[in-house]
Amino acid sequence: MRHIQTIETRDLCESAKKGGCGECQTSCQSACKTSCGIANQQCENTETASAEK
Amino acid sequence: MIHQYQLGGYHIVLDVCSGAVHVVDEIAYDLIALYEKMPREDAERKIYEKHGGKPGVTREEIAECYDDITALKDAGKLFSPDTFEPMAGTLKAKTAGVVKALCLHVAHTCNLNCSYCFASQGKYHGDRAVMSFEVGKQALDFLVANSGSRRNLEVDFFGGEPLMNFGVVKELVAYARSIEKEKNKNFRFTLTTNGMLIDDDVIDFANRECSNVVLSLDGRREIHDRFRVDYAGNGSWEKIVPNFQKLVKARGGKNYYMRGTFTHANPDFLEDIKVMLGLGFRELSMEPVVCAEGDPSALTEDDLPVVERQYEQLAGLMIAERKAGRPFTFYHYMIDLTGGPCIYKRISGCGSGTEYMAVTPWGDLYPCHQFVGEEKFRLGDIWHGVENPAVQADFAACNVYAREECRECWARLYCSGGCAANAYHATGSVRGVYAPGCRLFRKRMECAIMAEIAKTIPPDSEG
Repeated sequence: MRHIQTIETRDLCESAKKGGCGECQTSCQSACKTSCGIANQQCENTETASAEK
Repeated sequence: MIHQYQLGGYHIVLDVCSGAVHVVDEIAYDLIALYEKMPREDAERKIYEKHGGKPGVTREEIAECYDDITALKDAGKLFSPDTFEPMAGTLKAKTAGVVKALCLHVAHTCNLNCSYCFASQGKYHGDRAVMSFEVGKQALDFLVANSGSRRNLEVDFFGGEPLMNFGVVKELVAYARSIEKEKNKNFRFTLTTNGMLIDDDVIDFANRECSNVVLSLDGRREIHDRFRVDYAGNGSWEKIVPNFQKLVKARGGKNYYMRGTFTHANPDFLEDIKVMLGLGFRELSMEPVVCAEGDPSALTEDDLPVVERQYEQLAGLMIAERKAGRPFTFYHYMIDLTGGPCIYKRISGCGSGTEYMAVTPWGDLYPCHQFVGEEKFRLGDIWHGVENPAVQADFAACNVYAREECRECWARLYCSGGCAANAYHATGSVRGVYAPGCRLFRKRMECAIMAEIAKTIPPDSEG
């Protein structure tokens, strides 16, 4: 019996090795303007993000 | 740290620090909850006592499940420790002095008189004013000069109502386009509008030049017209909806957000979402009102459970509409589990006051649009740059580890420490915590992750 299914996610620990380019969008600019959240933002450094996978 | 919750028929386990998401059956769900609290034999015995009578649940099966949990822990996908704190200032230190986004307050005036407006009808507690081309041009030059090697620059035309100064908006975009190649920059413009002045010229401009438009609509006509009225008290719904429909239709797939505000008058905001969908809008955002405590439109403690339930039902509606071939997006449920922000971004906090600033019509700089009018937060101006380093330092120090409450919060790497303005208005400190906002944020993240899971694992096939 399979008890656990793991969804594919970006490994945050791995992202510590190559991330931090700073090209990503500022947190609430261009959208909600009244709350902070970064979960819905895209990584702009696609080269690094894909290299981690 | 892990976070466990049940929603939409799923048992979900989040491993906070690795970002791993697991969908489990109830045996694994209960076993994970006990895993770090007691020895293996005790945990397995408790699980057998609870689930032993169910089909296929044997002691061997439970032991195998325990081994699976251990394997995930060893692989860094369960109970992973938070080792990120030393990096909290890294991104901001690396990009210190770099500005990459400006909110241009091109009009501190508005043609609507919404009583719930955080900007006090566009005036930000000051006098009515519009930005001149010269001030706007200097703001763009300031941005280019301070953007370092950052190529993508974001500029939001904001107000008040920016279309009350549309001529300057167009001139500024033309100016930006004329210098971006030479400066090796790419401007991304956003227009936030109440829709009253949208015409064919605006539609053509917005769809050609703006990577995003934010359109203010609160949903149901009676809800919208309760607050969003002109100076004669007339509701604006009837005038703006056809304008928005025309603009969106002409947009040809480019980004937009139909952005509503919900208040104490409509904690059942899902009804407003449904109205937006019925009007043909598919990219939606709905935000809790930001106003002073005691304001009649402010959400109350009693509203919060209602709002939380609405968020859950919204996630269900999103899954159902997706299945029916009518997908829509909700800003707070857009979550990219495989390609989202790196850990540096997730812990570095909101960029207000450092990489992001607001510019008043007369060229003053503030940490963000929500601080405009709060004189003690004035950072400087677009001619001299930041002249108040103490205020900027306060904002630069905002990160996930700057607030004790965040250290214990499972959602911290999805929110990056929260909104400094909300924190300030709730507690008097930009490093405070706006607890009701946190509560709703956590609920939104639970819903967003659940809706994302449903893309991979249909709701009726769990485990």
